[in-house]
Amino acid sequence: MENTSLAHHLILAGLLFVLGLTGVLLRRNLLVVYMCLELMLAAATLALVAFSRFNRTMDGAVLVFFVITVAAAEVAVGLALIVALFRKRGTVQSDALTTLRD
Amino acid sequence: MIPFLADIDPVFKVLAPRPADWLTILPEIAVAGLSLLCLLQAMFLPKALRSLIPITARAGLILVAIMALTNGPWVQSADVASFAGLLRQNLPTDGVRMVFLLSALLTSFLAEGFLRERDAAVADYHHVLLVVTAAFMLLAQSNHFVTFFLALETAAVGLYVLVGYLRRSEASLEAGVKYLVAGGLSSALLLMGIVLVYGALGSAGVADSLNFTQIGKALAAQSAAHTVSPLTLTGIALILGGVAFKLGAFPFHTWIPDVYQGAPTPTTAFLGTASKAAGAFTLVLLATGPFAPIAMKLAPLLAVGAVLTLLAGNLGALATIDVKRTLALSGVSHAGFILAAVTAALVVPGVTAVGYDVEQVVVIYLLAYVIGTFLTAQALVSLPAVEDHRRPQLALRGLLRRSPLLASSLGFGIGSLAGVPPSVGFIAKLLVLTLLVSAKLWWVLGAALIGVAISIHYYFSILREAVVRPTEDNEELAPLEIPSGTRFLIGALTAASIIGGLFVLFGR
Repeated sequence: MENTSLAHHLILAGLLFVLGLTGVLLRRNLLVVYMCLELMLAAATLALVAFSRFNRTMDGAVLVFFVITVAAAEVAVGLALIVALFRKRGTVQSDALTTLRD
Repeated sequence: MIPFLADIDPVFKVLAPRPADWLTILPEIAVAGLSLLCLLQAMFLPKALRSLIPITARAGLILVAIMALTNGPWVQSADVASFAGLLRQNLPTDGVRMVFLLSALLTSFLAEGFLRERDAAVADYHHVLLVVTAAFMLLAQSNHFVTFFLALETAAVGLYVLVGYLRRSEASLEAGVKYLVAGGLSSALLLMGIVLVYGALGSAGVADSLNFTQIGKALAAQSAAHTVSPLTLTGIALILGGVAFKLGAFPFHTWIPDVYQGAPTPTTAFLGTASKAAGAFTLVLLATGPFAPIAMKLAPLLAVGAVLTLLAGNLGALATIDVKRTLALSGVSHAGFILAAVTAALVVPGVTAVGYDVEQVVVIYLLAYVIGTFLTAQALVSLPAVEDHRRPQLALRGLLRRSPLLASSLGFGIGSLAGVPPSVGFIAKLLVLTLLVSAKLWWVLGAALIGVAISIHYYFSILREAVVRPTEDNEELAPLEIPSGTRFLIGALTAASIIGGLFVLFGR
């Protein structure tokens, strides 16, 4: 703890966030895209804990619990949808999602 | 032990909810209870009585709406904070509560027959619908980023279920997954924004830097001293981006056509009204509340957003053929109208049109939009071919001969959305344009007027299909059976569309 500062935590959180964002925008496999989304949430959570620790306010640490709960609910619904889509189409590549068009 | 943990007990005693706090959210508690009741009924009622489930849900919603209209402790005429500042209620939040209740009620009417025809569970749909409604009602009252984020995400997760509800339909599942990815991305951006605002203000020594009131005070002090940090501004931009996604504003509108087209039509109507209303109202809440001190920085951003949203929505709708996609993109242009109204409030704080302030204008606009959308959706939901994506524009043909009532429902709905004079949609558009004139935002006004002109074209080409165009030879022209409940509903909404406009103009 002695050698790390708020800036270290924030740089790591920022890197994770950008990594997740890049994955969401570039990857084609829906499961990988979904993991990248969760990575973005984890990055935000890391920044939240760091701010909470270094600014000595509890609010951030409390929000973390809610974020984790919400992320779990989102994963449950999200995976259910992706599995249902896989059963129907036999693929989870986003290029294959072409039913909806004008 | 970390020193500040020792202070928790006295702090908790100060912050603990009082009985009066629970009274202020009684309507929300009632809606949440109603959603559980739907599940209980599905478990314990015999099969023959299952049709009671949507009826009790609707009766409950009507009771809650009456409750929210009567003068109880849950209706506030002034600003009242509850739950130690987590929630804040005032007249506009009471108004938008009615938008959500009305939207859920009308969705239930659409959904019952729709789901039964497709052999999908009615009780579960109502359960999720009511949870989302309660979450939206809390979202509109939130005064703290914890309640804000939680309510928004509860609603979002419920909406993923409602969009992908038809498990056997490829279109519905595809729309669900697309909504999931777009929604997940927006909530991650929103959360990062909240974290940055919390952290940047907290580092500057602001206590309770998730509370809207405290954020507003801190930003006012910082912007007077010109010390607003870039980190705070980045955070605010990310938060507004997340809200713009809900609202469907440029450049976060790209998910809208696909999701609206693929979702079951009742869900499309709910997304287009309640979800859009939530986005619109939270934008007003944030822009005129905590972020008001930096309004001058936000105004150009929102003005550009409003113009681009108006153009993207209207030009996009002009270029599409599918009815649901056209209506989806026209919804984007309505989001542009709301953005324009909010911009006016940022440029001239406290600007009014015919005595209505911006929050009231937005609520009136949303109510008008709810009426127009559901009148239109009522006609679409009765035509199976619209849902099955078999050249939906042809499905409308001959509607006037098959059912004059549905054709008139479509006519009044489209008229209300397009803003044709006697309708409340016209009055709502007029109020927004008046706001823009008072705020002297001439180029936004120009974009809005061009948008109205374009929208007349695509709205009436939908209507032309239903009324004027001849049907193809061997297509069935059987008259459509319309249940008496639907007849009543169409009549009530049409009356509301006409009387509502006059009431808004002369009612005060």
